[in-house]
Amino acid sequence: MNRSGRLLLCVSLLIALMGIVSIYSGTFQKQSGVFEGIYLRQALWVAIGSAAFFLFSRMNYRLLWDATYFLYAGMIFLLLLVFTMGIIKLGAQRWLRLGLLSFQPSEAAKLVMTVFLAKYFSDKSADSISPAAQRFGPVRALLVPLAFVMLPAALIIEQPDLGSGMLVLLLFMSMLYLSDIKLRYPLALSAVFLAILPIGWHFLHGYQRDRIMVFLNPNIDPLGAGYTIIQSKIAVGSGGLAGKGWLSGTQSQLHFLPESHTDFIFATFAEEWGFTGCFLLLFLYYLIIREGLRIASRTGDSFGRLLAAGISLMLFIQVMVNIAMNMGLAPVVGVPLPLMSYGGTSVLVTFISLGILAAISRERRAY
Amino acid sequence: MSDVKRFTFLRGVFFCGFAVLLFFLAGMQLFRGSRFIELSRKNCIKLIPQPGARGSILDRNGTVLAGNVLSYDVMVLPQKNTQLENVLRRISPVLHISVKELRSSFNKGVVAPFIPVAVCRGITLRQAIAVEELKTEIPGVMVQPRPVRSYPGGKLAAHVLGYLNNIDHWRLSKLEEYGYTERDTVGYSGLEEKYDYYLRPLEGGVSVEVDHRGRVVRVLGFKPPENGRDIQVTLDAGIQRIVEEALAGRKGAVVVLDPQSGEILAMASSPAFAPESFIAEDKEALRSLLQDKDGVFVNRSISGVYAPGSVFKPVTAAAALETGKADYSTVIECKGSLKLGKEEFNCSSVHGPQDLEHAIAHSCNIYFYNIGILVGGQIMHDYALKFGYGRPCGVELPYEAAGLVPEPLWKRIYKLKRWFEGDSVNLSIGQGDLLVTPLQVARMMAVFANGGELVNPYIVKNIGGVDPRSGRHRRPARAPLSSGHLAYLRESLRMVVEENSGTAHVLSSLPVSVAGKTGTAQAPGGRCHAWFCGFFPYDNPRYVICSFLENGGSGYQASLMSKEIIAGMAGKGMI
Repeated sequence: MNRSGRLLLCVSLLIALMGIVSIYSGTFQKQSGVFEGIYLRQALWVAIGSAAFFLFSRMNYRLLWDATYFLYAGMIFLLLLVFTMGIIKLGAQRWLRLGLLSFQPSEAAKLVMTVFLAKYFSDKSADSISPAAQRFGPVRALLVPLAFVMLPAALIIEQPDLGSGMLVLLLFMSMLYLSDIKLRYPLALSAVFLAILPIGWHFLHGYQRDRIMVFLNPNIDPLGAGYTIIQSKIAVGSGGLAGKGWLSGTQSQLHFLPESHTDFIFATFAEEWGFTGCFLLLFLYYLIIREGLRIASRTGDSFGRLLAAGISLMLFIQVMVNIAMNMGLAPVVGVPLPLMSYGGTSVLVTFISLGILAAISRERRAY
Repeated sequence: MSDVKRFTFLRGVFFCGFAVLLFFLAGMQLFRGSRFIELSRKNCIKLIPQPGARGSILDRNGTVLAGNVLSYDVMVLPQKNTQLENVLRRISPVLHISVKELRSSFNKGVVAPFIPVAVCRGITLRQAIAVEELKTEIPGVMVQPRPVRSYPGGKLAAHVLGYLNNIDHWRLSKLEEYGYTERDTVGYSGLEEKYDYYLRPLEGGVSVEVDHRGRVVRVLGFKPPENGRDIQVTLDAGIQRIVEEALAGRKGAVVVLDPQSGEILAMASSPAFAPESFIAEDKEALRSLLQDKDGVFVNRSISGVYAPGSVFKPVTAAAALETGKADYSTVIECKGSLKLGKEEFNCSSVHGPQDLEHAIAHSCNIYFYNIGILVGGQIMHDYALKFGYGRPCGVELPYEAAGLVPEPLWKRIYKLKRWFEGDSVNLSIGQGDLLVTPLQVARMMAVFANGGELVNPYIVKNIGGVDPRSGRHRRPARAPLSSGHLAYLRESLRMVVEENSGTAHVLSSLPVSVAGKTGTAQAPGGRCHAWFCGFFPYDNPRYVICSFLENGGSGYQASLMSKEIIAGMAGKGMI
């Protein structure tokens, strides 16, 4: 493994370790059986993820190019399967049960869509330097990929998982910008999305509207959705410079903070490790994402280039949205913090994405 | 490559994104950190749930059948153990409850560190004031008024109302989707169950910032509770009371119906339970209720199915007249018994030659045996269905029974036997496999009272001021009787009371003219079921009454009870 690969693996394992430590802290007071040993499960997932990282970093990433349409079809199949066979947790139907483990297809969909978009906007030839996308007209640049993106996005939003659905759309717009198509297309698309936003409001579920309203003013529903925001802000803010120390965060330990081991793991972490810990964590995330972008910019193959940039983007968006939501800067949507939040699919998919990054860096290291 | 510029831009975005997060993080943790630390250390935010009131159930005149009274609960905020001990020690003498008991009820009630726990419910107003006075000295104690179900009438209409209890597993699994939680109280049986969704209040609450002594500094947010919707029923509390007094705890049921509209004016089942005992958590009373073997929770007027006996005869008569198997001049001689094959079917006495009118008045079985054989089981079954038997009446109460009307095909399928003439004979006098509910009998009698319409009995007048049936009243079906035959049968029913030898002659001394039919149904469990079903006043019927006494003896007993009820109603000037 080259330098980039080693860096990615070391940093991601470090973040995952911080995640396990925080999951332990967030759940060890909850004595009910569901949470027992949940950090061990996460550790197992990290181990599986590391194995996947090695596997994918040794793989020729151009295999993904060939498999794109199979991946896409498989993803749609799984998303449809969720509707018929999915298990319902927390009021949403997002999980598939595979023996002992549950699997969340919407997490995998994020990576598959990155691969799909990277293929769509890059040339088939590995040696071509100028991507075909430059010559795309409005139909090939906007309408066709939009149709391919809207299908999984709609399925995910319908689960309902507004956060992941919007994330896929955001990813699409960013990759549109990165691909070599004319700048006016992504700009036009953004304008259209902004115009549609008020109309989309009517299609939201009641609780989703509530969450957005509550984000604007948490005190309108202090018992319901606003409660999480208020408590999460207190948790983050009360961390101070040095934090309250591991297992001593009162907000998370005394159950003030809901979902303290999944979507609000950052608040748990911030409360116990303070600004110092958060700074370190954010720096580690920045290292990974910057490394991804570096790999992208030094890769000649337009597919690899777009794929690496897309993976960095995907991680970036998730980190931003999740942490902003923990700090009360964004509405509460179900976006996990990659590598930190408890959730097998998310951890596995993130490690696979990083493995692909490592593979891309290996293929196009020297020039 | 032309996208280099865009990559550079993206790198800038990444950097800025992290910088902005870090900036806000520093703002929250470093600059405003002390305020957040304060908030978290003091657990400054408290949620005080505010319960709403469950909707009341009112009778047709607005008399409260099930309402609410304020009960005062002592609430204690979760706090450190030593502090808690101190708090409980202070309030224990006021409440006359030992610290140990308070402690155990506190431990049972803890939900979350920010929600106050009720340690003692239903204290007196005097105690409430005493506890409120303590509040200034000891933090974290408060008195919360809470609306509690009350039943001003005691056991009045208990079966129609139902009762309230903690939600059970089965109900929770069905109702979870509608926002019910495991701490909810829900209705069991009666209107409380059927209309729980309308009656239930929505809990509200305030979130307040409190100081270290538990005093409110400022209100952060408020969500007002919503009261449940009131339900007005068609029952008349006055009639209901008379009826329940007449039942006097005997096993049985009484239904009083308005024959024109189908409104249920009284519906009583006995023995009854006091719904209050579930609210008061009176363990002794609950144990005896739950161990009761007489089916105290069964609403006998809609959920109990019984053999009707002779009250079924008007159906047989209608079938015979309409199919032409008998007419006004058909005379059959009653010699006290009828031999069919090896079996002998008896009559109550030897009536001699009878026409239909007198056969009804004397309740002569022999006459009905004969026309029953002529009409046949299938057609009698069809007519019974047209008079509303064999299916629920559709009243808005849960657990209504359908009853059972046997027919040849049914017998073949379920008993693997042929339909014999003996079955027709049994069916003709309302015996055999026939099972009906008292409400079905009342509904049948309403046909003769109102001139031929099979009304749809109902009990809910409005919910929250809105008639739930507005615009889609089920039109009553026309009973299969020509007006001539109807008038004839009406007169016959009047003769049951009017004739000196009529089976309900005891009712003739009443100040109102009553018409009706008695029934003495042979029943499992020894004594016969006693039935009387009639309507009054005869010329312009406003009430249908169906009295039923389970294993209560002959129809005479039910007639006596009906007499008591009608006399009571007349005494109150209701007729």
